[in-house]
Amino acid sequence: MADVNEIKFDIKKEMVKDHLITGGTFACAGCNPVLGIRLVLVALGKNTIMVNSSGCMTLTATWPFTPYRIPWVHGAIENGGSVAAGILMGLKALKKDSNTHVVVYAGDGATYDIGFQALAGMVYRKEKIIYICYNNCQFANTGHQRSSATEKYARTSTTPPPIGNPLPRKNMAKIMALCGAEYSATASITNPFDFIKKLRKAATMKGSSFIDVLAPCEPGWVVEPWETLKAGNLMVETGMWPLYEIENKKFTLNYKPKMLPVVKALQMQGRYKHLTEQQVTEIQRTVINEWEMITKGRFWEAEEY
Amino acid sequence: MIDILDGNQCAAWGARRAKAQCVPCFPITPTTEIIETIAAWKAKNEFKGEFVQLESEHSAASACFGASLTGARVFTATSSQGLLLMHELLPIISGCRTPMVMTTVSRCLSAPIGLWPDHNDTLAMRDAGWIMFICETNQEVLDSVIMGYKISENNKILLPVIVNMDGFVHSYTRTEVDIPEQKLVNSFLPHPKREIRLDVKKPMTLGIPAMGLDYMKFRAQLHRAMMDSFDVIDKVQKEWAKLTKRKYDFVEEYKMKGAKAAIVMIGANTTIARAAVDEMRKKGKKVGLLRIRLFRPFPEKQIRKALEKVKNIAVIDQNICPGMGGILYPEIKMALSGTKKTISNYIQGLGGNFISEKDYIAILNDAIKNKKEERKWQM
Repeated sequence: MADVNEIKFDIKKEMVKDHLITGGTFACAGCNPVLGIRLVLVALGKNTIMVNSSGCMTLTATWPFTPYRIPWVHGAIENGGSVAAGILMGLKALKKDSNTHVVVYAGDGATYDIGFQALAGMVYRKEKIIYICYNNCQFANTGHQRSSATEKYARTSTTPPPIGNPLPRKNMAKIMALCGAEYSATASITNPFDFIKKLRKAATMKGSSFIDVLAPCEPGWVVEPWETLKAGNLMVETGMWPLYEIENKKFTLNYKPKMLPVVKALQMQGRYKHLTEQQVTEIQRTVINEWEMITKGRFWEAEEY
Repeated sequence: MIDILDGNQCAAWGARRAKAQCVPCFPITPTTEIIETIAAWKAKNEFKGEFVQLESEHSAASACFGASLTGARVFTATSSQGLLLMHELLPIISGCRTPMVMTTVSRCLSAPIGLWPDHNDTLAMRDAGWIMFICETNQEVLDSVIMGYKISENNKILLPVIVNMDGFVHSYTRTEVDIPEQKLVNSFLPHPKREIRLDVKKPMTLGIPAMGLDYMKFRAQLHRAMMDSFDVIDKVQKEWAKLTKRKYDFVEEYKMKGAKAAIVMIGANTTIARAAVDEMRKKGKKVGLLRIRLFRPFPEKQIRKALEKVKNIAVIDQNICPGMGGILYPEIKMALSGTKKTISNYIQGLGGNFISEKDYIAILNDAIKNKKEERKWQM
């Protein structure tokens, strides 16, 4: 299928529709993941069943209130992929699967770490499910602990300063592509059209799709509520979060960032306050190396920071 | 249709006759033959439902949860460590009031690892909010799977059901079994008109947090549904008896008339204990046997009634709760609280250690004499 940039999306027509997620959730001010749900539902419409893995988004609905106008279910933290697989199985048995999107919306902890097995199983079986990981780079709901999506040197409550997280992040989009995902992509809430188009594209796939969407967390990143989008945008524009897609193992870069110095993104986030100059230089070097690999067509060899 | 089937095949036939629509599964000894049987039927198109092997029991249980929420009829099976891996999902499935039937084939728990049966795996699920039947024969397994759906899908109940059998003793032992005709099962178990939870036309939000008193209200509702299920189970068992002439009850009394001492137990070994009772009766000793078939909800009243006139009771536990004793023992004592009886506990058969008729005769002889409550290990 064509590059996502060729997919048409008319914001004037589509964004004024009734929202399938209403206001009044329990999310923090400036929460990007909850904004992500809105974009998902704009892209996929009302014939969507959403599965949630335990995390911040589980608290969007609390008895007896719900913001959802679509069927929505939360099971446990590590089984988003398999609950969705069960739903798809049920829909198939009842012959209702043709026009319903089964979507998982799970955090990075539930995707990269504890739910990895269920996701890898789902992707291996090529289930027609769109798995969206809202990536705030940590276990935010339990109080901002390190996940394997946490970047190198970032501060979390389990990787405190002076060093921060000693390990680089995993690249799930790559891993999922190799596990058998027909479509695997990264996205950012700050680039909503790119995200929406990727979701539309994922919906046309016969097999599994995985979209890793960067969704900054106000208390976790230690930024002001009105600055979360700016923080996310700087992650994209500094090249720290490249936007790309992998369709049947074919890599396409979707967005050319301005390649601002990484320090611009780092200095506005409280979770990087403790960085030394040396550490900043190391991050900058890794990002430059990664982009060199990407632009030279050696994407699969690039290292993560 | 009379056939010679082992317990695993019986469970598979139960799912087939009940027209299970989704079978998410994962293999484990001694359950595997159930899913292999269904897979073979699926390959020959004799089984019409969806069949998917997942990457773990945890995922299989998760898929059961998802599939049942769409309104499909769901079946799965597991054992031992697999059941423990599923454990996290069991209260979620019952808490969301999701009907389904699962066969658990009892196998002892690790470590040390063992393949043979005891009831520690299934009894560990007693607080999960599932209706639990513990079977004695292969026929009972088949019948209970079919009856299980009728109970589970009842709109007043909407609780998942475990049908338990013993590994090897049931699962790999062939006995004569009557497979009910499809027509008969169809009339007994029509496709349910239950609420579909995940419906894009009628959106519903499920599995959300409930705080404070709300949480307690949900748990109270679950408990009430469990307690209400007695009537439904009774009705379903009676209806099945009318159709097949096979009677099932919450508890099963064997030669309890005039009994002064009795064995209380669950599972496949009951068959051996029956022989011991026969032997003792021949010698004029007034002994009997009570088998608990319905373990959850716990049929306290029926147990109390059945043991009303018995003085000495031997509770057999093929399980061990380390630091406490047998699991069944305190439950029976609770059912009999306030009565003046001597109730002893015998732990036996862990890890499938063989129990003979003689062992039960010894227990009964022991029980008749007991003036004090004893807690013994038979090994």
